[in-house]
Amino acid sequence: MSTTSVSAVVNGSRLSRAIATRSTLAEFLRTELGLTGTKLSCELQVCGVCTVLVDGLPVSSCTYLAVDIDGREVLTIEGMADGESLHVIQQAFIDHFAMQCGFCTPGFVMMAKALLDQTPTPSRDDVEHFLEGNICRCTGYAPIVDAVVEAGRRIRGGTAP
Amino acid sequence: MSFLPPFIHHRPLQLEEALDLVSVDDVPYSGGTELLLAMKTGLLRPDSLVDLKRISDLSEIAVDDGDLIIGGSATHHSVASSRIVADTVPVLAEVASQVGNPRVRSVGTIGGNLCFAEPRSDIATLLMGLSGRVRLRSSRAERDVAVADFVVGPYTTVREEDEILTQVRIPIVPGQVAVYEQFKFQERPTVGVAAIRLEDGLVRVVVGAVGGVAEQFEGRLADLDPTEISRSVDVIADIGGPERYKRHLTEVLIRRAMERIGADS
Repeated sequence: MSTTSVSAVVNGSRLSRAIATRSTLAEFLRTELGLTGTKLSCELQVCGVCTVLVDGLPVSSCTYLAVDIDGREVLTIEGMADGESLHVIQQAFIDHFAMQCGFCTPGFVMMAKALLDQTPTPSRDDVEHFLEGNICRCTGYAPIVDAVVEAGRRIRGGTAP
Repeated sequence: MSFLPPFIHHRPLQLEEALDLVSVDDVPYSGGTELLLAMKTGLLRPDSLVDLKRISDLSEIAVDDGDLIIGGSATHHSVASSRIVADTVPVLAEVASQVGNPRVRSVGTIGGNLCFAEPRSDIATLLMGLSGRVRLRSSRAERDVAVADFVVGPYTTVREEDEILTQVRIPIVPGQVAVYEQFKFQERPTVGVAAIRLEDGLVRVVVGAVGGVAEQFEGRLADLDPTEISRSVDVIADIGGPERYKRHLTEVLIRRAMERIGADS
């Protein structure tokens, strides 16, 4: 099996190893690193549940080669909380009940992180435009948008870590 | 979980190195938004992927000799957020910011989009309207081809198997009036219409996504009839809707685009 040597930072930890060349990032995170918070569903880049950030930009880890993280930084849902304290976005999702079954939630949280990092004061329209490629089949979109807008407000107001 | 078939991954640092590698079985690779999907479903099974991402010149965005130049591996995100693009061909930045979804824009490239020639590419439709050209390099030669001649059918271009799309070149026309209208429910549009004011009172309308390949129409604003155009274009009925519905949408979008460019006269 063809492998490629890769050095990357995943959730703040440096790793160097040979990765199966044909492995997708989702496969690598879930089966090699045990980071199963990243989910898989459509595997066509249209549902968003597998979203992780690579160098701060959101990618569909289902259709992203694991070897392409070489020299880059990856952030997954497991890297959001600081020990026992949830990230402000996670807390806002809880406060707004922005989840039902929760399967799409890691993807939405990571997308929200990507959005708020580049646009700290998004309008509701900005949030809807940015999240339009994420699917929630429990159809809880309104509370999700509320949560993201609120998370942005808390980050700006300095009431968040 | 679906798996990719085995392949070799080349990571050249120089264009020349990449040009020596590419062939029918050794394919250019950048964002992988189209290629990896085709590989997962078994539609394509290359021996190797020639990764273009480490060739830094290939993702440059610059102005040269009256043209906006975008490297073939520039991502939609970098095109959408580029100050240079916003200052020279703002309509392209606007359309790039609507491609697919943010994850596709993070990694998907302008060159990959054109080479894959998905019939619903907003980028291809717009670039035809803007008289864009692509530069193709092989280890033998270099040539420029108009985007209108580059895409010859659904998923079909005139790119030879040993060629790499190195640049997209768009003439900069100061004060150009160019608009893009699209209608989409999901990642790809049902209809996309570009309208551009040319010199001498002429207007160009390009209708994309409804058929196998985008179609262009030119004339005076008053002489171009949205109804007639929408009746004449090739329309493919599919999951996006039946033919009658798509013709109706096409007419509406042409009318909107023409009104927008007419209002600036």
